[in-house]
Amino acid sequence: MNSPDSTTVDVTPADVAAWLVERIAEYREAPAAEIDTTVPLAELGLDSVYVLSLCGDVEDKWGLVVEPTVAWDHPTIDALAVHLHGEIAS
Amino acid sequence: MTATDTTFRHAPMVALEQLEHHLGPAGPAAERSADDLAEEFPVADVAALDACDLALHYVPEEYGGRLRDFERSAALIRAVAGRDLTVAIAHGKTFLGCVCVWVAGSAEQARRVAALVAAKVPVSWGLTEREHGSDLVNGELTAVVDGDVVRLTGEKYLINNATRGGLVTVLARVTPEGGPRGFDVYLVQRDRLPGGAYEPLPKVPTVGIRGADISGFALREAEVHAVDDRVGEPGTGLETVVRSLQLTRTLCSSLSLGAADHGLVEAVRFASGRELYGKVLADLPAAARTLTECYADHLLNEAFATVATRLIHTVPGELATVSAAVKYLVPVRTEGLLARLRGLLGARAWLLDVRGDEVAQGVGEFQKVERDHRIVSLFDGNTVVNLSSLVSQFPMVARGHRAGREPEPGLAVAADLTAELPPADFAALRLVPMKGVSVLHNLAPAAAELARLAARDPDLTPVAGVVDALLAGTRELLGEIAVQPIVPPDVPPYAFALARRLATMIAGASAVALWLGNQQAMSADPLWRKGHWLLAALARLGVPADDTALDASHAVLGTVLRDQVFGSRLTSLLHARLVRERTA
Ligand SMILES: Cc1cc2nc3c(=O)[nH]c(=O)nc-3n(C[C@H](O)[C@H](O)[C@H](O)COP(=O)(O)OP(=O)(O)OC[C@H]3O[C@@H](n4cnc5c(N)ncnc54)[C@H](O)[C@@H]3O)c2cc1C
Repeated sequence: MNSPDSTTVDVTPADVAAWLVERIAEYREAPAAEIDTTVPLAELGLDSVYVLSLCGDVEDKWGLVVEPTVAWDHPTIDALAVHLHGEIAS
Repeated sequence: MTATDTTFRHAPMVALEQLEHHLGPAGPAAERSADDLAEEFPVADVAALDACDLALHYVPEEYGGRLRDFERSAALIRAVAGRDLTVAIAHGKTFLGCVCVWVAGSAEQARRVAALVAAKVPVSWGLTEREHGSDLVNGELTAVVDGDVVRLTGEKYLINNATRGGLVTVLARVTPEGGPRGFDVYLVQRDRLPGGAYEPLPKVPTVGIRGADISGFALREAEVHAVDDRVGEPGTGLETVVRSLQLTRTLCSSLSLGAADHGLVEAVRFASGRELYGKVLADLPAAARTLTECYADHLLNEAFATVATRLIHTVPGELATVSAAVKYLVPVRTEGLLARLRGLLGARAWLLDVRGDEVAQGVGEFQKVERDHRIVSLFDGNTVVNLSSLVSQFPMVARGHRAGREPEPGLAVAADLTAELPPADFAALRLVPMKGVSVLHNLAPAAAELARLAARDPDLTPVAGVVDALLAGTRELLGEIAVQPIVPPDVPPYAFALARRLATMIAGASAVALWLGNQQAMSADPLWRKGHWLLAALARLGVPADDTALDASHAVLGTVLRDQVFGSRLTSLLHARLVRERTA
């Protein structure tokens, strides 16, 4: 069984964004520095199926169950990070 | 009293009997056939359903309807489909038209729609457009918001009840760029619009369900209220539709079950009456096996549809997977069994006016059943759409199984027909299953339980072996789908093959769960005893089975099938009396 990381107490939105960049860079097989956190995920070459896997990673890492619609409502890495951070904090 | 009279009575089947009783014997086949050939809407049959207030079973109880248990509504639709599929589709469309409102509408909207349904207003569902079949994201019918008013302009095409309907729920594009948050669902009530704003399109001639009202509509600056008529929050239209389709796709299986009920009766009657080479056709070994294999296919479909429908209440979060699997598998396998029965009927299935050796106008019902049924795998998400949906869920399904999981209590409730279903919670429908598919998770413990039962009762050894083989096949498949995520619509052929196998495994695992959940309550029934139906059904999915055991199970199925047909009972795992007139 996966349990959420225990180090979620002091995370900031920037930490969440950095983690998202890392995941997406790995998926895109691109250097993290090339991932723009302000453009729509679709423009980063992320399709809806990847978003599903990302939801799974979010659950593993942060213990949060999120629906793929979060990426519809918060369509950039920065926006997604702020939203996820809010969920983690609450 | 027969054994079946003393076994447990399943409430949805009792409701089905009551509807049968209200409707009385089906009218002469000749009349239905004449309507069909003339492409006439089945006015009298639909009025008879309205007289029983059938549509109230499409409306949740909280809004004054009688829909509490989806399985019961499904059984009623099956009964109607078993009489005439055109009538079931023409009438049942109202459920499809309303469902977005139950899923995402306000209580006020739901009460308004419920009142229209109670007043027998047909409701239709406008999703598809001429240029964009299944591709809803590219829909062009446009909503222009102007303060409190929204003006809808555009066309929906191939819409059931678009001409006769009084209310339509319409998916409309609200932002020019569209996208997942670019659509809304609106309620369009025709009597609130000026003439010309809603223009029905001409009836489209079709191969089957020829009497149904298949047309479309054009909206021209049709004004609706920006808030009162919008179903759900702004931008949630596609999401609402996708969630709603999980319910309707699951219920579509009852149309297939009804068609197979009807087809099996025709085939058994013919094969039992026809003498060839001094023998009755039904007694020739290959013909008998064809009949019982088709019956086994049907029982598998029934088991899967039953579990899937009950899961609406108990594990709604997995319905994305289960509904796609059931909407793919049940119609397609029913097409297959009807095609085999057609082969058995031979020339009689080709003639319009022959049933068995009896020649009369309109008695050749089989060809109509098969023609009518072909629509079921097409509408409400066709086969390719459902398989693609399964493909897109591969990563989550595989991940859920890697992670491991506690047993899902809702599955046990779904599989136990004596258990009361909790109310359906539409807010719990999810776009993807976050934790995999519990019926697959549960297959290993289920196989272990069967092995334990077989240790006490050696008659169960063959079926325990088949379930072990199903488990091995499922493990192999979950390993295969775990590899690369595949991106629709560029789905390679091998991924479709994997999706078909996934649906097959979910169906088989559902049948295992249902047998285990009820074998004690049903122990007096020959179909259930020794796992006969389960063995025959799983063998039809291609799971290897012992030949001698399989022959024994088919012998039992053959006897039960004949008893059900000639005893005016539903061709079913469960007991239900019919008043269907079978002596044309
Ligand atoms: C009698 C009838 C009643 C209907 N009632 C309604 C109604 O009430 N409301 C409503 O909204 N709609 C209704 N429809 C529309 C129906 O739901 C659509 O027609 C159907 O869902 C699919 O549309 P299509 O066959 O035009 O598919 P398209 O999307 O145009 O696809 C055509 C074919 O392309 C192939 N294909 C598609 N995608 C792929 C892929 N990714 N990979 C490989 N092959 C692919 C498939 O073989 C598919 O059959 C009705 C249709 C009929 C015939």
